[in-house]
Amino acid sequence: MTELSIVNVTKRFDETDVLKGVSLDIADGEFVSLVGPSGCGKSTLLRIIAGLEAQTSGDIRIAGQSVVDRRAADRNLSMVFQSYALYPHLSVADNIAVPLKMRRLSRLQRLPLAARLLPSGRAASRKIEYDVHQAAKMLEIEHLLNRKPGQLSGGQRQRVALGRALVREPAAFLLDEPLSNLDAKLRVQTRAEIAQLHRRLRATFVYVTHDQVEAMTMSDRIAVMMGGRILQCATPETIYEDPDHIDVAEFICAHKINILPVEIADDGQLHLLDRRLELSVVGAGRGVGSLGLRPEALRLAGENAPIRGHVVHRENLGAELFVQVEVAALKERVTLRANPEQRRALQLGSPVGLEFDPAKALLFDPHGKRLRQLRPTFAAKPEVA
Amino acid sequence: MTRDWWKHLILILGMIVVIAPFYLMVSYSFKSPGEIERGEGGFFGRQELMVDERCVSLRAPDRKDIAAASQRFPGQTENAIRTALIAEAKSACSMRPVVFNYTKAFSEAPLLRYLLNGIAVTVSIFLIQAVVALPAAYALAKLKFWGREAVFGLVLFCLLIPVHAIALPLYIILAKLGLTNTYAALVVPWTISVFGIFLMRQFFMTVPDDLIDAARMDGMGEFAIVWRVMLPTAIPALLAFAIFSIVAHWNDYFWPRIVVTGNRDLFTPPLGLREFKGDGDGSYFGPMMATATVIVTPLIVAFLLAQKRFIEGITLSGMK
Repeated sequence: MTELSIVNVTKRFDETDVLKGVSLDIADGEFVSLVGPSGCGKSTLLRIIAGLEAQTSGDIRIAGQSVVDRRAADRNLSMVFQSYALYPHLSVADNIAVPLKMRRLSRLQRLPLAARLLPSGRAASRKIEYDVHQAAKMLEIEHLLNRKPGQLSGGQRQRVALGRALVREPAAFLLDEPLSNLDAKLRVQTRAEIAQLHRRLRATFVYVTHDQVEAMTMSDRIAVMMGGRILQCATPETIYEDPDHIDVAEFICAHKINILPVEIADDGQLHLLDRRLELSVVGAGRGVGSLGLRPEALRLAGENAPIRGHVVHRENLGAELFVQVEVAALKERVTLRANPEQRRALQLGSPVGLEFDPAKALLFDPHGKRLRQLRPTFAAKPEVA
Repeated sequence: MTRDWWKHLILILGMIVVIAPFYLMVSYSFKSPGEIERGEGGFFGRQELMVDERCVSLRAPDRKDIAAASQRFPGQTENAIRTALIAEAKSACSMRPVVFNYTKAFSEAPLLRYLLNGIAVTVSIFLIQAVVALPAAYALAKLKFWGREAVFGLVLFCLLIPVHAIALPLYIILAKLGLTNTYAALVVPWTISVFGIFLMRQFFMTVPDDLIDAARMDGMGEFAIVWRVMLPTAIPALLAFAIFSIVAHWNDYFWPRIVVTGNRDLFTPPLGLREFKGDGDGSYFGPMMATATVIVTPLIVAFLLAQKRFIEGITLSGMK
């Protein structure tokens, strides 16, 4: 049982607060991604969990025990680095064997030749060799064991780094942007492989990335970090469909979400572009909020649609068509996802009307917090005298 | 004729300036004293048989020798026997100038002993320098601690101090400790090389932090990181430093001259040159240059053998 707990961790570098009180519980065998833009503190948090960096305050617990006083080596965690960090002077087999040698062999047994001369060392070395082969077999890098890292491709190096991490069966794996040095095709392939590896090992994974696609495709849960805080931690589906904060909605998206200014009246009635919407919100004060509409939440409509503009740009991806619509009263263009069959109606410059599904509309207050209490209001609602 | 001929001309002139002293050294080591003095005989000299006057005067027969030799020359006068003996001595003491110079170099002074001393001293200096400089450079490059910048500032400051300025105080310290005329006096003052620390620190700065973090995750302590991770990646830089260190201390004449005063067993190769310094009877340039050639040869041979690695080390291109 190796659940990880991060309890109210803060970190200051000189005058800047990098982490402002982060708490997160990770269950045994769970795959959690820390995702956020660069500088949000996700890598720092991972290094604090690893023990490579000391937190300013707060606690890290592994299997219920505080590990704050333990060195990185004694926390029984493995880490895979963005640059792979393989020892350039050692062969692949020796690279993978290093963590085992440092743990299983005594200082004396680690001396050159000692492994061969001491009987105890010989047995231990044979076991290490066996384990290295098992790890290499799992990652299909057996044929590379005698090469040096310099002779390997990026993807192969990545596997060796994974092998070095998994050979000693750690309490948890920490992965720091392990895919960002790979080319796009290999990244997709390795993504699937890491997810499979997680399923096979049933180990706890903490995965840091700035790429929300990686987070969405691999994780059990995603923790979205911004400005040194976790804004939301939930399953990928919840994060996408039901974000707590406008920043989460904007960060987690394949195509940029449309953010439209919306007026909230005293009674909660919403007005978009000076038009009364068939929506109202409960429990929010008067002000200007934001309406988040994903491109797939919009659909083409007739003259009477709430949003009207004309097409200024088209991106045809084959299976789907993304259309940018310029709306007179808005600074930013509105993006719509359309079916390829609708291509004809969406020529450059042609006027379009857009409406949206109220169930898929995400409303945020002026500070970016999500307002969930939406109610339909009907245009034909009789006025109370 | 290419348009760049003038570049080659400049390079050739430069080469002549650099090569000329070596040319003279090697050439003198081949020639007889007369040829050296008169400046004749080309590069190799004429290699005519020459007579070592000193050897002859040492063998000059006295009354006892003549009495002993009288049986070999029956019925001759003492004068005739003396002349015959001197002629024998002359033929025994005559040899080719090359042979003369090089045998002189090894016989007049225990040059072999000096060479071994030189190896012992330079190798110990380099090994201890590496043992000190690598951890120091690692700490200065990769560890965060209070006062790190100040310590590095001191390292840079020490780079500016010339050896000769502190030679006298160093000598006094060693004398007070009773260490003059020992190997320790030749080695100890050089064991902390600020240049080595500086050079290795600059190299370690280029080693990615991830590599060190990975080693920590794998269970290595800080010293294990220095010897098992930093040292193997720093081999090119360490080789570059080895060149500087070994060349400087192998060729050093100044410091051994100061701390080794009486005991010839401790002489390093450059001190061997002093053996042929002219006293009353003129300088022995031939044997002196033969000694110099012998001293320089190991360095040149080592350079030629390891030329590729050396240049790699100096340009620090071995690391990706």
